[in-house]
Amino acid sequence: MISAFKRQDNWTLIGLFITLLLLVALFSWQSEFFFTTRNFINIGQAISIRGLIAIGLTVVMIAGGLDLSMAAVAAVAGMVTASLITLEVNSILVGVLGVAAAGVLGAFNALLIVKFRINPIIATLGTLLFYRGLAFVSTGGDNIVIGVNAWSELGRGSWLGAPITVWLFLAVVVLGMCFMRFTVAGNHLYAVGGNSEACRNVGIRVDRLRGWTYVAQACLAGLAGLMLTSQSGTALPSALNGAELDIIAAVLLGGIALNGGRGGLLGTLLGLLIIGVVQNGLILLQVQIYWQSVVRGAILIIAVTLDSLRRGGGYR
Amino acid sequence: MAVSNVSKAFGQVQALLDVSLNLYPGEVVGLLGDNGAGKSTLIKILSGNYHADQGTFEYQGRPVTINHPADAQALGIATVYQDLALVETRSVAHNIYLGREPRRFGFFMDRRKMEKDATGMLEGLNIRLPSQKVDVELLSGGQRQAVALSRAIAMGGNILLLDEPTAALGVEQTQQVHHLITSMRKQGKAVVVITHDLSDILDITDRVAVLRQGRLWAYVPSASTTTNQIIGWITGVALPYIQNEAGQ
Repeated sequence: MISAFKRQDNWTLIGLFITLLLLVALFSWQSEFFFTTRNFINIGQAISIRGLIAIGLTVVMIAGGLDLSMAAVAAVAGMVTASLITLEVNSILVGVLGVAAAGVLGAFNALLIVKFRINPIIATLGTLLFYRGLAFVSTGGDNIVIGVNAWSELGRGSWLGAPITVWLFLAVVVLGMCFMRFTVAGNHLYAVGGNSEACRNVGIRVDRLRGWTYVAQACLAGLAGLMLTSQSGTALPSALNGAELDIIAAVLLGGIALNGGRGGLLGTLLGLLIIGVVQNGLILLQVQIYWQSVVRGAILIIAVTLDSLRRGGGYR
Repeated sequence: MAVSNVSKAFGQVQALLDVSLNLYPGEVVGLLGDNGAGKSTLIKILSGNYHADQGTFEYQGRPVTINHPADAQALGIATVYQDLALVETRSVAHNIYLGREPRRFGFFMDRRKMEKDATGMLEGLNIRLPSQKVDVELLSGGQRQAVALSRAIAMGGNILLLDEPTAALGVEQTQQVHHLITSMRKQGKAVVVITHDLSDILDITDRVAVLRQGRLWAYVPSASTTTNQIIGWITGVALPYIQNEAGQ
């Protein structure tokens, strides 16, 4: 009996799943367009790019960290990619360099947080402004138009009836879930988030592990920036500006604790789906666009409140 | 393991002066003394966290040095600290094997083997938990202490240093820990228990060492002393008294 309840997190997942089903039922009843393959693909498309970033953030937060700079990193990666494309660099090399540029920014985050012991919120708030500024400075604020070329296939193409972005996102989710559950490093990340001092005592390289989470997060953000640029045919220095909070909201909704050690990628996936379904459903019901933010905020508050009550008081 | 003439000073404060102790397999030594008597300093020297100013260590008859925690670990000295150092959000099994998880292909964690080993280890120590799969945060204080001790043993410890293992525990949980210490003695471990709790100390230990102001004030077989006598040594009312293993 105990083993069924061993992880309080399971209840969070069940709650999220039921919420998602109820939302799907509600919107299907209210709109004839909702429960269609075409619409589900739309929802998938809408959450995939932010989802890539949310997956990275989930891993960072499980290990007890936080990264606010990820959307700015995505914008820089988009700008780097687009400039390389206009210089007619080989496509594969462009992809590698775009992600690598993001990785370097992530390594700088890691340096500040792990080596110089700066609080992750402050460090990445600083790099958020810094990286976002770099994205604007690189072109003096102009967009870089790459138009439709071989690159567009990545963001606009389909495979087996679904967009490539959705497949890529799902692949990252599955790989990430396997990594966090089955590898020693993934399990160490959970342990580090739970009690980093205990991990140091037994010889786990806490700083190295934590540092890598920021690099991985940045690489995923870079990939998201790449996909976005490819999809829209334009790299905007303002890409995903303000998306940070939405992404953090989805991760928190999925049951990740701010102090780490808990939750998982499945929760984040459900959190993203709930927010994606609400967003999509409200549009189909022709609700005024400004209600979007109100509803998303309400869902997050209700979910976290219920979770806190169930745990018998979360933050004290 | 023999510890001879260990001294340690922090600036002007002589924390330990000329302390000698012997640890034998299957024997439990109670390390007693008032606050600031040097108990924790001695434990930290043995676990490699402090470096002794003077003194020598012998392990199985050959001289050894303990300069780092890694040296102590290599000798099979495992320390269980007061704050336990468990990860509350992880399972019992993972806490026991934290940092030395069984692996597959070097990269993957062999969860099944880890859980099987954990079950075997807990059974061997006669520890009863709801399941080795539960998260540590759902366990009682005594059960947590049991998990911390299991980890120390899993780390290959033959010499276990327990820093106040019953400090935060209730009566029944204290009993559980005492049972555990007894079963570790049966397994042939050398155990050093730091404690303030004198109630059962003579039942669970083979010898007691009393530190006072950094000196070894008394060192006697548990069978030949009384709780009142120990209190006398701790407070300094009674004169120093060292009795060797032969009873002289």
